Amino acid sequence: MTLEFAARARLGGFSYDAAFSAAREIVVLFGHSGAGKSLTLQFAAGLRRPAEGRIVIGGVPAFDSRAGIDLPPQRRATGYVVQDLALFPHLSVAANVAFGMGGANRERRLGELLDLMRIGELRERRPRSLSGGQQQRVALARALARDAPLLLLDEPFSALDESLRAELRRELIRLRGELALSIVFVTHDLREAHLVADRLAVFDAGRVLQFDARERVFRQPASRRVAELTGVANILRGRVARAGAETLTVETGGARLRAVAPPGWRPAAGEAVDVAIRAERVNLRRLDAGDPSRPNLLEAAIAEEFAYGASHTLRFACSLGQPVEVEIAARPYEVLGVAARKAWTLELPPEDLHVMPVAPSPPPPSAGGSASATTA
Amino acid sequence: MSALRARLPPIGLAAPIALFALFFLAPFAGLLERGLRDAGARAEMTSGMALEALALSLWTSTAALAIAVAAGTPVAWWLARARFRGKGAVEALIDLPIVLPPTIAGVALLTAFGRNGLLGEPLDDWFGVTIGFSTAAVIMAQLFVGAPFYVRAARAGFAGVDAQYERVAHTLGASRLRAFLRVTLPLSWPSLAAGAALCWARALGELGATLIFAGNLRGETQTMPLAILGAFESAAGLTAAVALSLLLLAAGLVALAAFWLISARAGGDGA
Repeated sequence: MTLEFAARARLGGFSYDAAFSAAREIVVLFGHSGAGKSLTLQFAAGLRRPAEGRIVIGGVPAFDSRAGIDLPPQRRATGYVVQDLALFPHLSVAANVAFGMGGANRERRLGELLDLMRIGELRERRPRSLSGGQQQRVALARALARDAPLLLLDEPFSALDESLRAELRRELIRLRGELALSIVFVTHDLREAHLVADRLAVFDAGRVLQFDARERVFRQPASRRVAELTGVANILRGRVARAGAETLTVETGGARLRAVAPPGWRPAAGEAVDVAIRAERVNLRRLDAGDPSRPNLLEAAIAEEFAYGASHTLRFACSLGQPVEVEIAARPYEVLGVAARKAWTLELPPEDLHVMPVAPSPPPPSAGGSASATTA
Repeated sequence: MSALRARLPPIGLAAPIALFALFFLAPFAGLLERGLRDAGARAEMTSGMALEALALSLWTSTAALAIAVAAGTPVAWWLARARFRGKGAVEALIDLPIVLPPTIAGVALLTAFGRNGLLGEPLDDWFGVTIGFSTAAVIMAQLFVGAPFYVRAARAGFAGVDAQYERVAHTLGASRLRAFLRVTLPLSWPSLAAGAALCWARALGELGATLIFAGNLRGETQTMPLAILGAFESAAGLTAAVALSLLLLAAGLVALAAFWLISARAGGDGA
């Protein structure tokens, strides 16, 4: 395990309590701004001190409130790329990258790193004269120069245009493979999170709502809030009508929907649940193509339509009492002739319907000001 | 045509600019003219008294600057980075000597460090150390009036360096001292240099506080400003005063020019 992280803190009115881990993988901390993602990196790097918790980096306890351990940033085995990069403006690219390097083989290793990040030609340039993407690579090289097993990246691609982002994301995935690193990657961009994550920690208001493999988080969100944050367009409140071993029947908005039973959780009949289905998982069928023996068919009519070029988002009015959003790629949209037709049958495949417990109301933040974070 | 016009001040400003220039240049012209015309002035410049006072002025003001930099740099860094209640009051207190008339500074120093002063008395009783009317007192008077200029400029310089750079330096393995020396210092160098030059110049010209706190003993506390005042009141009168003034002015200009050259080169390497 490269990183074991657990920390609690209280900053003004903000209460923070998060735990996750990373083992030679890219862990994405995902959430809205102000959810506590950057704070997490600062705790890990030692730039801020949580009130309590335990942070172990590369097997070495860096922070342990019970044991009274709190290593300063310079003694923690992390490479940290802050959101604004903060390249030293008075130093050349080479001097920036070499800043954190030890003495032995310094020149050779510097050359290797510059080559790895493809910035060898920029050696003598000052950061000011570099493009955004070049600065990004210099910052990454500088963070890698410490040979730390853990890399902390705070929205590293936020200032870049789309083509550069794509290139650097590829580079990151390559680095993780080549250098056997653990990378903790902060982003509020859902597509970016999906692209780079091995595992995903969904942050909201200082809490980790779900920490799981990427596909689990996207396909089986732990709660309505996680589903909302990860872009699930359709979330229905319902009640379990029948709870079988393999399937559940959920009553919602007057319809009965069949869903595959969620792993590791068995709701009882009569229990209130949320049912989620991503917009791209809903099938569109012609009315006459509907087979009454198939489950989860809904008659619906297009109420609103948004074209995004590569895909279309359709909002349907139906009997469920709330609109159902469907995302369809441009090609099937044309093949099906969606533009010419308003009335459709929606199919919600049972294996794509995810049943979640109705989240209990969050516990009130613990009273007392004993837990507080301080700047190290 | 338009380029030329851009370089020339608007016609309405011509009169105040000309008056201002005249006002500030005329005294220097006067000094120079008198120095060149008066043969006695050149003799006065190389008198023992003049050279002794010049040497004392140069080394005491440099010593005052050294102390101001050594002690003022950490204070300035702390003021730039720390956030605490009453910080404004601390800053105002540090700025106070800038607006204080130097004679008041001299009296105040005397009441603190003079033989019967608040701290001077126990120093004298317990250790037999007397500060008043010594070269040490000269340096202290210069430090008192000059150091705030340095601290003020250094604080602004440090505050202008984003603390994020220091934090990043820490995450790259740098200790606080190394982060300061390799990142903060080079980035705030121009402010520090400007503050140091101001501090030194102010120390070099110090008169009022020195006169009251250190006295006017030739070779021991008689710095150039005191010597100029003495010369003016002596039989040689204006001639001697002009001579010493030109000498001090020249020494000051040479020192500042050298300082700017060195700091520009150091800054050029760094930034």
